[in-house]
Amino acid sequence: MTKKPTIKPKKLITRRNNLNGWILMLPMVVILYLFIWRPSVMGTVWSFFNMKAYTVLDFCGIDNYRKVLTHTQFLPTLWNTVQYVLWSFVIGFLPPLFVAIMLNEILHFKGGFRVLIYTPAVIPGIAAMLMWYYMYYPDQTGLLNMILGKLGAETQQWLNNPDFAIIGITIYSSWKGLAGTMLLYYASLQSVSVELYEASIIDGAGPLKRLWHITRPAMEGIILLNVVRQIIGVFQIMEQPLAMTSGGPNGASTSLSYQLYQYGFNSGGQGTGQAMALGVIIFLILIVFTIFYFWLNRKVEDRY
Amino acid sequence: MKKSLVKIIALLVAVTVSVGLFTGCGKKNSDKNEQGQTVISVGGWPSKEGATMDAFTERKNLFETNNPDIQITPDTWAFDLKSFYAKAAGGQLPTVYNVHFTEIASIIDSGYSADLTDSLKKRGYDGMFNQQILNMLTKDGKVYGFPTAAYVLGLTFNVEMFEAAGLLEADGTPKQPKDLYEMVDFAVKIKKATGKPGLVFPTAGNNGGWIFNPVAWSFGVDFMEQDADGKWKATFNTPEAVEALQFIKDLKWKYDILPSNTLINGEEMYKTFATGNAGMVIAAGDMPGRMVKYGMTPDQLGIMAFPAGPKRHVTLMGGTFTAIEPNATKDQIEASIRWTESSNNFKLTSEYKTNQEKSIQNQLSNNQLVGIKNMSVWSKDSEALKFQHQLIDENANSNPNHVRLYNEFVANCPAELQAEEPVCAQGLYSTLDGCIQEVLANKEADCAELIAKAASDFQSNYLDNLTY
Repeated sequence: MTKKPTIKPKKLITRRNNLNGWILMLPMVVILYLFIWRPSVMGTVWSFFNMKAYTVLDFCGIDNYRKVLTHTQFLPTLWNTVQYVLWSFVIGFLPPLFVAIMLNEILHFKGGFRVLIYTPAVIPGIAAMLMWYYMYYPDQTGLLNMILGKLGAETQQWLNNPDFAIIGITIYSSWKGLAGTMLLYYASLQSVSVELYEASIIDGAGPLKRLWHITRPAMEGIILLNVVRQIIGVFQIMEQPLAMTSGGPNGASTSLSYQLYQYGFNSGGQGTGQAMALGVIIFLILIVFTIFYFWLNRKVEDRY
Repeated sequence: MKKSLVKIIALLVAVTVSVGLFTGCGKKNSDKNEQGQTVISVGGWPSKEGATMDAFTERKNLFETNNPDIQITPDTWAFDLKSFYAKAAGGQLPTVYNVHFTEIASIIDSGYSADLTDSLKKRGYDGMFNQQILNMLTKDGKVYGFPTAAYVLGLTFNVEMFEAAGLLEADGTPKQPKDLYEMVDFAVKIKKATGKPGLVFPTAGNNGGWIFNPVAWSFGVDFMEQDADGKWKATFNTPEAVEALQFIKDLKWKYDILPSNTLINGEEMYKTFATGNAGMVIAAGDMPGRMVKYGMTPDQLGIMAFPAGPKRHVTLMGGTFTAIEPNATKDQIEASIRWTESSNNFKLTSEYKTNQEKSIQNQLSNNQLVGIKNMSVWSKDSEALKFQHQLIDENANSNPNHVRLYNEFVANCPAELQAEEPVCAQGLYSTLDGCIQEVLANKEADCAELIAKAASDFQSNYLDNLTY
């Protein structure tokens, strides 16, 4: 008898909270619907149709997919995209980790360093890309060539060199993305108990031993997550080749997403169907990594 | 009490934001307003206050006074292929807007442009336009545009650098290279005299292929042809095309007259030239507007004829026209044509006179070169055109000899005029961009191999995939 009245209000509160939650989420849901879900579904459907610019003509089965996959640049472009991912690990993986640990260890001017290191992340993308574009500029007016000139070395072609274009763009992206990733690492470092370090110092462990036995286990989860996040992020690289190399020289820095952009906007309306098909192909590749990411995320969260 | 307040605020925020998202999605213009005037929106309206915007406003006021049955709504969207299809599919295009000839095929083929044939006929334009220009705007006997300007590619040069290289006569007339190889000689001289690249040639953003087209035509290249079944075939795997590509390759590796940067899109090309970092550029008579952005003054800028090639003397014909959105009503189409006429007329009306004078004054106040006379879009002698040319002569703000050779080239063209390739032009340009970038990046590149691959790639990636 006494139980009933206590349960009812509770249920009511939950339901109310539920409603409040939905109301708060509504704007985001609408935005997601308009800009992500609806376009994704429509794009997938339309990828099976002949398109005249954005007018749907007739069902064509997998013809758009055939056109995309048999395009003579498809495999080179796919390989370029993989190269972007690989180079992003070679160049961009360790620095944020290193900087985060360094920042965590230093005692003075911590705030100042944090601000300085975060600066690249605040510069708007296109502005930063143009800045690097001119640093890489392949004549005497490029900053890097100026420095080489002062040192008496020969000037370089930088982004004009097919073998360097992807590396050059990745160096820029790593520089731009360093601060964001660093912040994640830094935050997770903050959660490592200071007492562990104090105890290990008393036990006589040096900095390297502390790094291996205390910092590493605490960071493993977040590092793994970042690996997957980086694969997903870099795989979609588009603005950088667009602004810095136009995908060249001779397609050497064209990524899948840049190719999609070309289909969509630079094909005189002929490539809309192929753009959507390529979008679905990229989506399918990335969904594998995304599922893996969520699985990993759950594992990592379970550990803490 | 507090909780319900939070809830109300949350609800309000949610509703406002969601409603805000949907406003502006509706179709905007209807045919008539409450006063019964035909309403048309005009694209390409300046968004920045200043002389250009004032000129547009004055043109609008004058037009509305002379045409009380029409109301003009400014629209700041200017034609851009990247946003065009989305705008068109969403029904958000302005009623009337300006487009370059380059995009005409894309516009007509996509079905996003109104058929103007009957309306033009009704307003007396039968046989009035230059047939060659009209052909470019016509498909299956239907006309899709009102040509407003036509120009041909010429050779634009930097006056100071020409002078330094001894390529300028005492009266300011430049020496005219008679063929492409002599153009290279000039570039070598410029480089020797000034240390700057003699020529900038575009390589990226489809601009490389676009400019390479007339060069290749001059070498005798045919890029494509339609066979009896209507199938298109790439026909440029030929020694002529190899020779043309070799010509581009030599610019870098044999003569060394190009800028070090080998990834140059259209904007970068104009910038390189206009900032004094190249002596010559292949550009059309509409280039002063592009150069002024980078601070090039009228007396630094000149233009002459496009040089002949080993096989043909041919140049690319371009221009601008006004197009009208596909959902426009008959009244709107007529109103749009009348609006276009206020500044592009065969007859010498007083409104045309005023607008031309304003337009020239506006160019002068922007410190843009005045002196280039472009091709006539008309088939007959036009009083209006005569007036315009006279106005240009009177207001020339630089030595007329800097542009005289181009004006003569246009007026009495010794070269064949060729329009862009009929299908998949953008795909062709992007394929050729790749070849040009390769020969400029790689000294060992094999031109024959590249052309063979380009022709087969173009066939399989584009021509074989044509859907409409």
